[in-house]
Amino acid sequence: MSNEWTNWSGSVRFSPEEIAAPASERGVVELVQQAIAQRKGIRIVGAGHSSVPLVQTNHVLVSQHKLKGAVGHDPASHRVNMLPGTSISEAGEELIKLKLSMHNTGDVDMQYLAGAFGTGTHGSGRTLQNLSSMLVGCKLVDGTGELRSFSLEEHPDIMRAAKVSLGALGFFTELTIQAEPAVLYARKEYCSHIDVSLEHLEELIDSNRMFDMYWYPRSDRTKLRTCNQLGEGMDDIPFAEKAEQSKGWLYEILPQFRDLKYEEMEYIIPLEAGPECFREIRKRIKEKHRQYVGWRVLYRTIAADDVYLSPFYNQESVTIAVLQNNELEYKKYFDDIEPIFRAYGGRPHWGKKHSLAARDFQELYPEWEKFLKIRQQFDPEGIFLNDYLKKIFGL
Amino acid sequence: MKSKTYGKKSWAFAGGCIPVDSTGKEPDYVSQEVLSILNTTPEEALVQLTFFYTDKEPVGGYEIKVAPQRIRMFSINDLIDPQAVPLGVPYGGVLESNVPVVVQLTRQHTGQSALALMGITVYQADGNS
Ligand SMILES: Cc1cc2nc3c(=O)[nH]c(=O)nc-3n(C[C@H](O)[C@H](O)[C@H](O)COP(=O)(O)OP(=O)(O)OC[C@H]3O[C@@H](n4cnc5c(N)ncnc54)[C@H](O)[C@@H]3O)c2cc1C
Repeated sequence: MSNEWTNWSGSVRFSPEEIAAPASERGVVELVQQAIAQRKGIRIVGAGHSSVPLVQTNHVLVSQHKLKGAVGHDPASHRVNMLPGTSISEAGEELIKLKLSMHNTGDVDMQYLAGAFGTGTHGSGRTLQNLSSMLVGCKLVDGTGELRSFSLEEHPDIMRAAKVSLGALGFFTELTIQAEPAVLYARKEYCSHIDVSLEHLEELIDSNRMFDMYWYPRSDRTKLRTCNQLGEGMDDIPFAEKAEQSKGWLYEILPQFRDLKYEEMEYIIPLEAGPECFREIRKRIKEKHRQYVGWRVLYRTIAADDVYLSPFYNQESVTIAVLQNNELEYKKYFDDIEPIFRAYGGRPHWGKKHSLAARDFQELYPEWEKFLKIRQQFDPEGIFLNDYLKKIFGL
Repeated sequence: MKSKTYGKKSWAFAGGCIPVDSTGKEPDYVSQEVLSILNTTPEEALVQLTFFYTDKEPVGGYEIKVAPQRIRMFSINDLIDPQAVPLGVPYGGVLESNVPVVVQLTRQHTGQSALALMGITVYQADGNS
């Protein structure tokens, strides 16, 4: 019987020899030890939302749907221990029971915590770091089968490697996340025009805790979305028409439900280069691509961090994403836009389409070698590597 | 008293083709084809659209809702669910509604700055099975 596995968008497909679903930490340790003994590779899958073959394997694919929930809490520090297969939405539900919240979410909440952290998943907000920044401690089964524990205070370098690690250091069996006291948020959506939106872009970014913009290439309309703690941020956007608003806990109102499948390429570029890069992309899409592309372009901002493989490493950033229906040709479109991102020093989102390999990453990530060294120590036999990761890491 | 309703449940058009080029400020002056649907009934109309092409399989599954006793106009250019309709490509469309509606298709071609507007009739289609 074929075990075919497919990612969310349908463009990554493969048939692993086995799909395992351990129900406990002990089960994970045994699985890894068994794989080592049998000289088999292991890849760990979250919700399967990434659209590059990060989790592809001929051997053992590990699903984490039995590893869910909160397992510990330190009220003084607002730190909560979660199992890795807890989805962002489930994490929101667990946290609110403790009157806590994540600082941000991405556009959807279906990713698993470990999967979202693995690729540096982000939301939007000039002063907010990506979701991986919440990871302040972890338990991990490394490539020798050993269960190890780390924390930001005791192992800062390892945590800088672990926060965004593409499932290449080992299997996270427990994540300690830094939460914050839950407060109510107001989320608003407005319709506007690209000229006005660009004119006010800086103000929109600086005046709202969370702000993002969709541009619709076939009409030049925009959607402006803000999310602020009650009583903060722009009360209204005078140059745009309000289309929607909601009030509630962050995890309830920020993420959207998406079931229309698409492919996506997203690059992270320096904050100050954002508007110019966007303008160039808009021009190219209008000149060359909108005959076949109706999907919007998404513009977001994210704060800098110090994580070795974070696309936001040492850089206040703008992220720009181009999307296309998954059943339509997307490669020509993405291939044509990618050099524009690259010209602005862009780093690709680790979970979305891109064409880069080790040589490129070495130039883009100043602490690339440090990560590779830690990876080698954690998984000397490479049981967590697949062909794709070997290409990425140049191994 | 039962109020009078207008239209049919099935409609079709054959001569669609959204111009690729546009001039002038968008969205007002973008080249586009706009479907207008009039629902005179007291019920919400759920209209299912399928587009047909010269050289590929039809694409169905587009859904448009029109509130009771309202009109709705939307640009075919903006549809992306289930997929974007290509510009510059001949296509035809079939609309099936759960209640009688009246349908009109309008093409706006701004490829040259001297703007021309053209209304296109959509035909009532009695599907034979
Ligand atoms: C509809 C949609 C919306 C999206 N929106 C956003 C967005 O707003 N912002 C954004 O930044 N990205 C977004 N993404 C991208 C998505 O967040 C990332 O691809 C994310 O990594 C997917 O999480 P996942 O749980 O599906 O993990 P997967 O894609 O299954 O895995 C991701 C990586 O994590 C590793 N991993 C998973 N579990 C473990 C574990 N226990 N231990 C070690 N490694 C592990 C995997 O091996 C893999 O390398 C979106 C994707 C989709 C499809």
